[in-house]
Amino acid sequence: MYPSLISLAVVAYICAMGLALAYLVQRQDLVHRLAVLATLAGWAAHTVSLIVHAVERAAPPLGSLPDAIWVGVWVIVLLQLLLEHRTGVRVLGAFVLPIVVLLSLKATTTGRPGMLAPALASAWIWIHIALAVIGIAAFVFNFVGGIMYLLQERQLKTKRPGAFYYRLPALATLDRLTFRTLALGFPFLTVGLMLGALWARTAWGSAFTFDPLAFFSLVAWVIYAGTLAGRAAGGWHGRRAAYFAIAGFAALVLTLGAGLFLPGRHGS
Amino acid sequence: MPLFVAGLNHKNAPVALREQLAVEEDKLRELLLDLQAGDVLREVVVLSTCNRVEVYGLAEAPGEARAAAFRHLCRHRGVELAAVEPLLYTHLDAEAVRHAFRVAASLDSMMLGEPQILGQVKEAFALAQACQTIGPHLHPLFSHAFNVAKRVRTETEIARHAVSVSFAAVELAKKIFAGLAGRAVLLLGAGKMSELAARHLVEQGAFPIYVANRTWARAQDLARALAGTAVPWDELATALAAVDIVVTSTGAPEPVVTRDMVTRVMHGRRGRSLFFIDIAVPRDVEPGVDALDDVYRYDIDDLKQVVDANLRERAREAQRAEALVEREVGKFLARQGDVEIIPTIVSLRGRLEEIRVGEVKRTLARLPEASPETRAAIEALSSAIVNKILHAPITKLRASSRAGGGRSWGDLVHELFGLGRRA
Repeated sequence: MYPSLISLAVVAYICAMGLALAYLVQRQDLVHRLAVLATLAGWAAHTVSLIVHAVERAAPPLGSLPDAIWVGVWVIVLLQLLLEHRTGVRVLGAFVLPIVVLLSLKATTTGRPGMLAPALASAWIWIHIALAVIGIAAFVFNFVGGIMYLLQERQLKTKRPGAFYYRLPALATLDRLTFRTLALGFPFLTVGLMLGALWARTAWGSAFTFDPLAFFSLVAWVIYAGTLAGRAAGGWHGRRAAYFAIAGFAALVLTLGAGLFLPGRHGS
Repeated sequence: MPLFVAGLNHKNAPVALREQLAVEEDKLRELLLDLQAGDVLREVVVLSTCNRVEVYGLAEAPGEARAAAFRHLCRHRGVELAAVEPLLYTHLDAEAVRHAFRVAASLDSMMLGEPQILGQVKEAFALAQACQTIGPHLHPLFSHAFNVAKRVRTETEIARHAVSVSFAAVELAKKIFAGLAGRAVLLLGAGKMSELAARHLVEQGAFPIYVANRTWARAQDLARALAGTAVPWDELATALAAVDIVVTSTGAPEPVVTRDMVTRVMHGRRGRSLFFIDIAVPRDVEPGVDALDDVYRYDIDDLKQVVDANLRERAREAQRAEALVEREVGKFLARQGDVEIIPTIVSLRGRLEEIRVGEVKRTLARLPEASPETRAAIEALSSAIVNKILHAPITKLRASSRAGGGRSWGDLVHELFGLGRRA
């Protein structure tokens, strides 16, 4: 039952992505409604799959990096549904769902070695993973907001309205989206990283032993911290903030890549 | 009896002729009643706008009806029928339905998606209703057309993007600032165009409005008209720092807003965007400001370019609207087809049933010993034969009627089975 639930969720996400992209091109209300329905269906199956997993293992479904990514996707889809509803930016799905599909495929096709080593299992480690996952999910929207901002800004600066001029929301709306998602993700990432470092000191005696995943996540954190400081103190916004959102996300992608492909404490 | 529409529009008739033929309401009333009184037209609606003159009706001989209608019209307006005749188009049945839907949905308009035509069609319909020239055929046609028009407006973006320079500027402002409520506007110069743009911005909630002009009195006048504040000309830089949108239309030969000025102003704005709508020729804002972050400058040519893009966007949306119209034409014909062909099907069934009952009765009279089972079997057998025979023709009748050709098939069936004259 468990693997078929996962497949169901992934297939629903793929359908939702196709529909969301079709909506970007066609802008038919019906297509948008179907995309939302497919997303909801995928998310429901996804939720059940996580519950079943947790009950089977009697532990949070965060035992390996692919498992954590699968939970991350769940948070991203939840945020997608909420943000689209609240901001009224209906093309959001067309940008977010491709990322959702990529991450889902990665998470569900990579072997899942399952549980943390018993020596590692503790409440703190679960919280560390959960907070980092929520933070990263928020930064997906920070990234997407930045991309959309740059596209719309290009349209307005070149004065040749094309497809994106009509489809994307106002610059002010997009800038607010990137700022709010940054403000949301940053505390989660910060506390998540701190817990990780504290845990590393208890488990391995040193907080700063080199680990590829930890290294890149620290890079991402520095980028995000810089953007936030720039926003607060220097009035950074718009294009500059969008560039930083993309840079930060690139660092996060490297973080996940390092965790999945390089040996280290986070790998299996 | 076929549904038809005959007329001329902006595509084939020159404006001189269209304005000659345009009819005011009193005359229209007279025309409707005259046409109704004659014997060529059953139901009739006349649509007369500055871009089209069309007669919708129901007539046994559409050619005659068209000639009669336009003969009347030309006589009313003192135009030679010969000048009009070659320009007229006629659409029948499905084509007429499609035409009515496209006209109401503004797909046949000179400016795609313009909103006036629907109101004009509604008026023409209301007038015909008042004159009692509308019956069971045109009524459903027009109410369906109003529905289609409404769906096209809400489900496509055919009427959404601005086709005038001043509205295009307002839309651009919305793409930069999201809502315009509480956005401050500065008017430089006091042209009619900039006043119009300012009024559109105010309608969207822009506030407060500042007006600067080299002539102080003129600035005060315009400020009063827009419920704004006049600003002395030499405080331009201060005003620039405080506002979000600047509309310029001075007659100055040199730019009044320079790149240096804007660079300095942007420093203190902490990233608040500044939008220049430069309607003046020669331009009032140095094009060099384009290179500055968060500064957006559209001159009159840029705005025209946006309007052109909007028109292309409308044309793209029109294709979606056409598909919607096509589906609705199908639905309408299916409904009409059923309405039209059902009497034929009923009488055909009735005729065969009559024959069946008669023959069964005769047969059973000759078989007094037949058991109830045998009688039931004979009944069932005869019913089955009748139903089997009827199946194909009824399917065919329904299908051809939905496709718009029900009339001739219906007539044929009436002829073949001796069902009497059709209603």
